[in-house]
Amino acid sequence: MTPTLPDIMTGFAVTLSTPLPPESGGDYMVGRMGMLTMLSMLASQEAERGTAARVWENGAIRAVLGKAAATYDTPDGAMAKAAGQVDSDFTWSGLDAANATLRRLLITLHEKVEAARDKDLDRQIIALYGEMAHARRLEIAGG
Amino acid sequence: MSLIERLEAYLTRTHGQPATVTTLSRISGGASRETYKFDAEIGGEAKGYILRRDPPGSLIETDRRLEFLAIQSFMDKGVAAPEALALEIDGAELERPFFIMGRIEGGAPGSPFAADPYGPHGRAIGEQFFSIMGRIAGEPVEGLPILEVTDAPAPDECWRRELDYWAGVIDEDELHPQPIVRAAIRKLRANPPPPAQKIAVVHGDYRSGNFLQDGAGNIIAILDWEMAHLGDPLEDLGWATDPLWSLPGSDTISGTISLEDGIAVWERASGLKVDPKAFAWWRLFASVKGQAIWTSSAKEWRDGGFKEPILAFSGWYTARRQDQILAAHLAALEAL
Repeated sequence: MTPTLPDIMTGFAVTLSTPLPPESGGDYMVGRMGMLTMLSMLASQEAERGTAARVWENGAIRAVLGKAAATYDTPDGAMAKAAGQVDSDFTWSGLDAANATLRRLLITLHEKVEAARDKDLDRQIIALYGEMAHARRLEIAGG
Repeated sequence: MSLIERLEAYLTRTHGQPATVTTLSRISGGASRETYKFDAEIGGEAKGYILRRDPPGSLIETDRRLEFLAIQSFMDKGVAAPEALALEIDGAELERPFFIMGRIEGGAPGSPFAADPYGPHGRAIGEQFFSIMGRIAGEPVEGLPILEVTDAPAPDECWRRELDYWAGVIDEDELHPQPIVRAAIRKLRANPPPPAQKIAVVHGDYRSGNFLQDGAGNIIAILDWEMAHLGDPLEDLGWATDPLWSLPGSDTISGTISLEDGIAVWERASGLKVDPKAFAWWRLFASVKGQAIWTSSAKEWRDGGFKEPILAFSGWYTARRQDQILAAHLAALEAL
């Protein structure tokens, strides 16, 4: 998983509180501060969009699983079961734990869809990937 | 004992005469090694050097001997490789493996994330960028020092060796399921490229940000050879043109020239041809390789105690951007 916002904030504290040897001042220190500045700007985007992106992605994957379960479900019915659930823990760790389960099922589903040469559903899943990546996007100045 | 004192002790011993390090400062270049620039006076002669020392933890697991020999392979081949001077695998006085290169003065790297990194010199830089890459690709590998530490794959096995390696990195370092890169890996396995038209030295990280330019339109050094290996020359071309190294929506490669112009320059310099099907494979592969590196960055940052901000940036921004690029590649291939 890409670092979470709490990880990033912990990194700020560790970086700023760790003394560097004398030879690591100057340009290197300036570079580190520049990197922390950039991470701060990214963190503000993640704080704004992170919860919405996670809730949306979990819902979008459940929708695809629900649609495909009748044809492609695993023997234990995990896809149909996951499709019927809703998020109830809205902490990021809670949403990420649910997301990990859903993403594993999505990978399984996509493998089955490819094996079946189901072009229509394949296209839908690839389109979903684009939406997932967009929802979790981070943007840097100029980009 | 400070790093300066250790360095002086090493240089004094290996040169057999007193050495004085007059300046030493860490620089930001190279995420996989601690990189320092220093000036030393040895036997009355003052000169500038670069020290590349293994860190306790590394972004990319690489062999410093390989990097050293890769640079040596191209020192006199007109591709702006720096001078490789000393290699100590056991670390000697510096305690960790390191090597020393001659310092090339007067240059700065361009940022892949800057809007206009080369100003009016974009075309000149772009033509040299693709031309040097082409010369590396066209160089016969027989007799090159890098052969001491790496072997040549069969032309029809280049793709598999690289894909197996980088997919394995994701298997090992992934902390959260990544369906997009997994789909790309399956796509690559199901649609292998044609055999390499020749076996070449692949720089492995040839891109904007990994060369020095003098601000007047000249590339003066190609850096960061730590992922060099033998393989399909299209691998470097795919990596160098990955959209990650250009701003979103840009119609040039890293603020230089268009992809089409770059390929034409590369073909002239290498004497090779770019097969569109093979190139499409290596471009998708480049994004898989990138995502593998960013996956390792995130793990390394967490495991290393959140100390190096560059690892957080790589494991976070670049990983998210790479997912966007991978998804776009998959959609484009699906539409064909």
